[in-house]
Amino acid sequence: MGANQSIPKITPQDRAILDLKLQRDKLKQYQKKIQVVLEREQAIAKAHLATGQKDRAVIALRRRKYQQSLLLKTDGQLETLEELVSTIEFSLVEVSVLHGLKQGNEVLKEIHKEMNIESVEKLMDETQEAREYQREIGELLANNLTADEEDAVQDELMQLQAEVLREESADGVELPSVPTHEPIAVENTPAVPAREETRERVALAA
Amino acid sequence: MSFSTFTTPTGFLLPSVHSAPPFFTQQPYPGTNATVTEQWITLILAYARHRKLFVLRVEDAEITDNDWQEVVRNERINRKLLPSYLSSIIATMVSKNLATYDPPGQTRSALLYWRLPEEWAEVLHGWAISTGQLNTILTFYEIADPPIPSPLSNIPINLLRKAIAVLAKTGRSQLIAVADGEGVRLFQGK
Repeated sequence: MGANQSIPKITPQDRAILDLKLQRDKLKQYQKKIQVVLEREQAIAKAHLATGQKDRAVIALRRRKYQQSLLLKTDGQLETLEELVSTIEFSLVEVSVLHGLKQGNEVLKEIHKEMNIESVEKLMDETQEAREYQREIGELLANNLTADEEDAVQDELMQLQAEVLREESADGVELPSVPTHEPIAVENTPAVPAREETRERVALAA
Repeated sequence: MSFSTFTTPTGFLLPSVHSAPPFFTQQPYPGTNATVTEQWITLILAYARHRKLFVLRVEDAEITDNDWQEVVRNERINRKLLPSYLSSIIATMVSKNLATYDPPGQTRSALLYWRLPEEWAEVLHGWAISTGQLNTILTFYEIADPPIPSPLSNIPINLLRKAIAVLAKTGRSQLIAVADGEGVRLFQGK
């Protein structure tokens, strides 16, 4: 249904990759098996040696050697397989990168088609015109005040100025003049206000 | 009587009930039996999670020296779980969808769901995202036995299959089959 739409189709490449990976897994499993055999052969050799059957021990060790060579061979094969898988996967990435680049390029082309130089110039001219027009309208609107209105504004201004003047003369507070000589410190006087203060504080507390 | 908890050599803390002798005997009254079985199920799932054990067999109560011996027997009080009782516990777990008989069609061996297939599905998806393996074809072997240990290491293929089926429902997985075997591809999804 809807969910299936986002799932890509299984391509032959996918199958090939899976096949390779399965082969790789098989090799890994095979290596595991050989590892077990190696350990067993060694145990067998040890057991034979303990019972004094030297020739049997040698045979076991020989078998072990052979398995070891097999392990080495599979290592090489595994490497080749993994390399191949990596190469394929990397190529797939490259393909998708190429695809992405192609699409990006096409989009860019589309965009460029829409904005060729002439149309841009034309557009800029039009914009300039529009701006001029806008400016004219602005000017017209700004100079829209009639002479009567202008007079009214001037009147209001005069009125405000007069009011300010009147207020200033009304509350003419007489300020003391600046002292002409330096103040002389009197030593006894501070004691009296201090006592007054304490008396006040007592009265408040009561 | 006082029962105490016990930490096993594998670092699992057994609950105090595990040192109570009656715990190991199937209770004759259905009510009591249900309670004790419930405790067994909790214990089994906790232990399975601790040791990452996926399979529980009736056989585990019959033989010594297996993964479950710390739980199915208690040497300190000389008690062990009888196979018949373990079998009935497994049956209860299967009926509660906390386990499933695997392979199906027998009752001796069960796959434990200490994570439900739905939860495994999320674990699988999360693993694929964190290791950057979305949109790549993965073999089951590769998932269950990754070169770097993951939460999915050693997951039974059947359980993995179920998790993949859950992801397929939301369009996040795709099974690919070839003559030699199967693989899966995971997607980001919506």
